[in-house]
Amino acid sequence: MAKNSSARPLMSRIKDNLPIVVISIFSLILFVAIYIEGGNAQIFNTIITGGMWALLAVGLALVFGVMNIPHFAHGESFMIGAYVAYFTFTPMQEYLYTNPNKFLSAIAPLGAILTAGVAGAILGIIIEQLIFAPLRRRTKKDWIMNAFLLTVGISFVLSNGANLVLGPNFRGISRYWDVKAVEIGGAYMSVDRLIAFAISMVTIGALWFFLRRTRVGRAIRAVSQDETGAQLVGINLNFIQTLTFSLATAMASISGASLLFLFQAYPTVGGTPLYYAWYVVMMAGLGNVVGAIIGGFIVALLQTATQLFVAVSWTTVLPTVVMILVLLIAPSGIFGSEVKGVQEQ
Amino acid sequence: MNSGKVAQEQSNSWNKFVEFINKLGFNPLGLALLIIIAVLPTTTPYFQQEYIVRWMIMGAFLAAQSIAFDFTSGYINIVNFGFAALLGVGAYASGIFANTTPFIAVAPGLNPWITIWLGAIVAGLVGFALGILTLRLRGIFAAVMAWFLGIALMGLVNNWTALTRGPLGMNPRKFLETTNNLPYFYIIFTMMIGIYITLKLVTRSHYGLAFKAIGQNLDAARASGINPIRYLVFNFTLSAFFAGFLGGFYAHYFGSLTPSTLMHTSKTVEILAIAYIGGRGSLWGGIAVAFPFVFLIELLRTNFSDLPGLHLVIYGVLMIVIMIYYPGGLAGFYDWIKSKVQRK
Amino acid sequence: MLELKNINAGYDFLQVLWDVSFRVDEGELVALIGPNGAGKSTTLRTIAGLIKLKSGEILFNEKVINDKPTHLISQMGISYVSEKLNLFTGMSVRENLILGAYAIRDKEVQLETLAYIFELFPRLEERKDQLAGTMSGGERKMLAIARGMMSKPQLMLVDEPSLGLQPNLTQDVFSALIQLRERGVTVLLVEQNVNATLSFSDRAYVLEQGKIVMEGPSKEIKANKHVRNAYLGI
Ligand SMILES: Nc1ncnc2c1ncn2[C@@H]1O[C@H](COP(=O)(O)OP(=O)(O)O)[C@@H](O)[C@H]1O
Ligand SMILES: [Mg+2]
Repeated sequence: MAKNSSARPLMSRIKDNLPIVVISIFSLILFVAIYIEGGNAQIFNTIITGGMWALLAVGLALVFGVMNIPHFAHGESFMIGAYVAYFTFTPMQEYLYTNPNKFLSAIAPLGAILTAGVAGAILGIIIEQLIFAPLRRRTKKDWIMNAFLLTVGISFVLSNGANLVLGPNFRGISRYWDVKAVEIGGAYMSVDRLIAFAISMVTIGALWFFLRRTRVGRAIRAVSQDETGAQLVGINLNFIQTLTFSLATAMASISGASLLFLFQAYPTVGGTPLYYAWYVVMMAGLGNVVGAIIGGFIVALLQTATQLFVAVSWTTVLPTVVMILVLLIAPSGIFGSEVKGVQEQ
Repeated sequence: MNSGKVAQEQSNSWNKFVEFINKLGFNPLGLALLIIIAVLPTTTPYFQQEYIVRWMIMGAFLAAQSIAFDFTSGYINIVNFGFAALLGVGAYASGIFANTTPFIAVAPGLNPWITIWLGAIVAGLVGFALGILTLRLRGIFAAVMAWFLGIALMGLVNNWTALTRGPLGMNPRKFLETTNNLPYFYIIFTMMIGIYITLKLVTRSHYGLAFKAIGQNLDAARASGINPIRYLVFNFTLSAFFAGFLGGFYAHYFGSLTPSTLMHTSKTVEILAIAYIGGRGSLWGGIAVAFPFVFLIELLRTNFSDLPGLHLVIYGVLMIVIMIYYPGGLAGFYDWIKSKVQRK
Repeated sequence: MLELKNINAGYDFLQVLWDVSFRVDEGELVALIGPNGAGKSTTLRTIAGLIKLKSGEILFNEKVINDKPTHLISQMGISYVSEKLNLFTGMSVRENLILGAYAIRDKEVQLETLAYIFELFPRLEERKDQLAGTMSGGERKMLAIARGMMSKPQLMLVDEPSLGLQPNLTQDVFSALIQLRERGVTVLLVEQNVNATLSFSDRAYVLEQGKIVMEGPSKEIKANKHVRNAYLGI
């Protein structure tokens, strides 16, 4: 009898969390399959890609959770980051070519990536103040859809603007750190990749700490849970929203900068990252920051599996089919979305 | 006295005429402008130039798309982000049927005048599926789902090289043997008017009310006895059908199709911008915006050819400004003027 | 301390408040009563800066506040406990309370206030790690009032704290409000429970259809014939 009573809740708990259970099993199978087919190299590749998508998706989730903005110009923040890193790094590289200096060579890429982050933060402030603040003052009616369309417009302007000013050509670097690849468990990983992964993890960790442990971070979470309540305890909504948007933009820029060796900088480089970031938040649950981190890795698994077992060119088709299935089972994502506004929409 | 009677009779028949065109969704001013657009290319030398006719074709093509797009976004309030992909599906389907007609393998395939309908039906079926898929999703989820589906469709066209030749592109045969563009203008112009009247009649029926109710508040609509499934799916199917129909025109007018120039999300964004600047939920706003727009953009493009994409930036900025400060668009502005005039 | 002068306000096209004027002096507990839909909540929202005025003026400590945003009004010392409570449901009781003291940067003062609040509401201390969203209705009310107190306000606006509570919990809430006054906090209270409210408040205003129709010491209001008929059912 005692056994019975403990078994029942387990079954019903599985039932309640069916999407999570299904996806966990599915991910595990993919993981094993990738390991068998591709070995350590593909597993590391997946983890590194997952970190990348997680960093981007966290920004999207944050902007949606706090501001209710479905951000379609997130890829352009990535693009700006890539450009800024390119234009700060290449002169430094040239200088170091004629004046070799080990210490500076090691630190210059970090400087470029940091600069990109700062540029992204500033861009975020400008966009928020120039576009969303006026809309907020004018009307909050139909906010989600209006905000979404505005981000579509922003994306259009930024990518075409980049094309206008800088032209359509690709600007890339072969690598940030001119050192040999590192061997881990029989697989060779370039230092650039490892550091890009480290940067994404550190950035997510820093954000986590900020949201959980600091006064302003707590205020950001407060705004995402109850806007009116937040104002009533003295939180400046305008400030929090601008800050949030700026943070998300900075994170995407850092991402674009640290992946410059992989993606290069060109006007429409944001398309792929945007697609995957959206993929992650749709699957995990809009506005769910923790879900976005886990989702990043699940999507990377899917992506690697498609590349390994089908073909690279099918990576936009098969995952979409999976996504459709997921959304049919769980219309608001695997981990759900309790963000205000989504339900009312 | 006699002349007074004549005048009265005249005004009577005028009223009847206005009433009649009103039923079809026109007012005298709009109809007059459309007639002017229709006769321009045959009467005015400037508009007889080949490249100007091409611009006019482009204007009508964009206008027709914006009508079909607005039918979904302006009424049930779901932005169909896969619109361009649906158009592409219609274009490819029609092109393939016209060139090779797979399965029954008759070369050179069916007549484009027939396949354009087949393409529309294929796109309509995809739209039907999209409607079913997005049923349980709300607002932004549905928009993103349509976006994903669009990307997947583009991926499919890229990969199904046996049928589509993938990124290399395919060359459907043209409607006409002639190199003259003018007939094509009248084809697309007629299509545009046909689509407008059809969709206007639908939105004027009880369907239109149901669409608006669903768009404003799905739950409230359901509570008041509207079955959203039927209306949502019908709306998506019809909009996709016309998107595919227009895709067929594209295929047999340009005679060249590649996935990225046709089905990319940025193409949807262009249509979205026209529809929103024109005014959501008006259907006609897009027509009024598309023609001057094409001219403006083409003039910018030719005069500032050293600034590639300037026109797109202006486009985007205009769209942002209108969305923040004037969400009613041109149609909203017109209604405002009308109410001012009527009050006087 | 608080003075409303000829307030006209409402929502979009619906005007709710018509020429409303009243004042609350320091140390008072003033009741605002009236039937459902009279505009009591709207009045409090207007004071808190959540609704913009059409005309009129609101003064707090002789300063005009109606042109200020909500968070500044809160920081000036007005705490509004709304009828919806507006708690942060995904956060713990403790975090909700800490956020209540958002404007107080001094950690020590924060913790002192927290200790005092826990003394006043021992139940909240027992539950300090529970998520606000999982608490019972009465506990949430307590938490909302406690959160409102965390900023050490000079004036508290409290909207229907007894709504939906069992009588014994209502009693607890009322005694908390009375304690507030004893600590020198001024209170403007909106209540449906007219009888009880008029017995412990100092003064009262009666709001009907957006207009102040009566005002005076609570005892007099309680004795008034119209009030007895309409609100006390006597
Ligand atoms: N958010 C709102 N939007 C529009 N009208 C509202 C809103 N809130 C309240 N009202 C209307 O304002 C009037 C006063 O409401 P309220 O201030 O809540 O009354 P009370 O608190 O006295 O019961 C009512 O007619 C109500 O319908
Ligand atoms: Mg009320």
